[in-house]
Amino acid sequence: MKTTIMGSYPKIPAGPGPSVRTAIQRFEKGQISPEQLYSTYESVVKRVVDLAADAQCDRTTDGQIRWYDLFDPVVRDLDNVYSAGLLRLFDNNFYVRHPVVTGRLQYQGGTLAAWSREAASLSRIPVTIVLPGLFTFLSMVEDKNYHNEETLLSDLVDVMRLTVRHLADTGIVEVQWDEPALARYADRWPTAFVQEAYQKLLALEGPLEQSLALYWGPSSPWLDTLAALPFARLSFDAVSEPAILDRLASHTLPASVGVGIIDGRNVRMEDAHQVVDILEPVLRRQGSDRVWVHPNCGLEFLPPDRAAAKVRLLQDLKTLING
Amino acid sequence: MAKYLQTTSVGSFPKPPELMAARARFRRGEISREQLQQAEEAATKKVMDLQEELGIDIFVHGEMERGDMVAYFAENWQGFSESLPVRSYGNRYYHKPIVEGTVALGDAAGLTVASWQKAAQLTARPVKGMLTGPYTICDWSFNAYYPDRRSLVLDLAHLVHEEAVALEKAGARYIQIDEPALSTRPEELDLAIEAMAIVTEGLKAKTISHICYGDFDTILPGLFDLPVDQLDLEAANQNYALLDLLARHPWPQNKELALGVVDVHTHRIESVDEVKAGIRRALEIVPLNNLLIDPDCGLKTRTWDEAAEKLRVMAQAVQAVREEEGLE
Repeated sequence: MKTTIMGSYPKIPAGPGPSVRTAIQRFEKGQISPEQLYSTYESVVKRVVDLAADAQCDRTTDGQIRWYDLFDPVVRDLDNVYSAGLLRLFDNNFYVRHPVVTGRLQYQGGTLAAWSREAASLSRIPVTIVLPGLFTFLSMVEDKNYHNEETLLSDLVDVMRLTVRHLADTGIVEVQWDEPALARYADRWPTAFVQEAYQKLLALEGPLEQSLALYWGPSSPWLDTLAALPFARLSFDAVSEPAILDRLASHTLPASVGVGIIDGRNVRMEDAHQVVDILEPVLRRQGSDRVWVHPNCGLEFLPPDRAAAKVRLLQDLKTLING
Repeated sequence: MAKYLQTTSVGSFPKPPELMAARARFRRGEISREQLQQAEEAATKKVMDLQEELGIDIFVHGEMERGDMVAYFAENWQGFSESLPVRSYGNRYYHKPIVEGTVALGDAAGLTVASWQKAAQLTARPVKGMLTGPYTICDWSFNAYYPDRRSLVLDLAHLVHEEAVALEKAGARYIQIDEPALSTRPEELDLAIEAMAIVTEGLKAKTISHICYGDFDTILPGLFDLPVDQLDLEAANQNYALLDLLARHPWPQNKELALGVVDVHTHRIESVDEVKAGIRRALEIVPLNNLLIDPDCGLKTRTWDEAAEKLRVMAQAVQAVREEEGLE
């Protein structure tokens, strides 16, 4: 069994230590320089990747520490898109600047590759970069240009392929597409439409693994559709939909299976022994070496002490399962 | 008060620098609670004076005593503990409450009454009593105790009801029960409505609920069943797309709409003309008698100057529409 964290992570410390929040406040008051602000971000990214490494995770993300939100670097790297007013991120008391498309999407690149390169250089373990999935992007976008979802999606696939291609030499090993929108809006897009879009995205030859994570809703409706695609790993949210565990215990998937069994949105701590019991049938069916265990989503929705405790819980689970 | 297109605010105002400094000094133990309260009262006076100067019709007290709309109640009621900060957007964080026991008023019954009374004494205009709704308190807390959300929401509804009754007894003619989280889970709209019915049961004051930053498409027209007299909704943030959604349904004659016409999450100050245009679009959908005008949401995210300027533009736009339509 392998472990990883999922996407975002708190930008503030549980105790003493560098804090993005404080640094931004001090920067805005003119008390620290741009270089000092930059260094703070770097220190916090280091803290996140170190935490994951210390907890013996097999992979980590950059915690999306430099990111304003899930869409931020993607928007920065595209022409004819800008970040506009705040929108609630699904059912969270968390808000993102929604992307507004004003012209045909053009890839320029730069930001995400730089941030990815930084995370990879700081991390002792392999790094995954987590990006908004095609349909999660579509669900939040304000389209002022295409007025046709199919055409927009076609160009979106193209610029996301360019995005992945330009991450290839940054030192990261994996791109994970986050698709809470698919989990929340199971009927919004035809399965063939979803399948075709991801087929095109995944057709790219390259060194990076590509995986997909469903969370904050039921994964079951998408299991067969997504299992037919060449993802390196499919991650499911067993917190939102415990019944997915029964499916995973009875059907072997061609891809590695990620089980989001630690609640990334509630401070209540899971009992490691109970979690192991719950996971046992999935491990048996899928094969322990093909199962990843992780929180159901990024841990930024938790206070930093509880987020760290949940990462350390991954280590406990690994010890109990792998010995 | 104006007869048509009455103006108001959603709730919070930015804390003036003097109050921010006092709060920091209080946290460091350098000043007493009484000294902090004096600073809060001075800031409240500033909020009231601004509304007076701008000719706002229905006042708010500005919530100078509150750090966060949910945490304020959780800090004072029983059953909650406080987490380390959690980010909500940008560089904004809040201490998200943790429900660790049965929620109860404890010795904090009538928590919001004193600040409302002090503000009400400063003006002849009506001042809204400000509460946070049970659904939002639940949704914006970590539930580490109750077996399910429903049981927590309904327990909280009884507490918020007690608070509303206390405000009404103190003389509040307008009571606002904010439910910004209401639109987050369409499948729980019935629960939110059930909880609001508990909150507003028997109240004679005008009841208002502010809801924002949600997928309104998924909760309309069910939202019209929320048992309050007035819905207070944001519109400017999404360039009035909300009005297109509202236009799909007949506006309920028994409901008022307070329409948000300035975005509280941008430094940009709207022009009078764009606010006027928003008001005119709303008048195509909502009867004149049912429409009030206010900002999208609480103004605490803006600097004092930005908040004042946004309100000034709003007031000027409303006045211009009144004059142009002969509504004086």
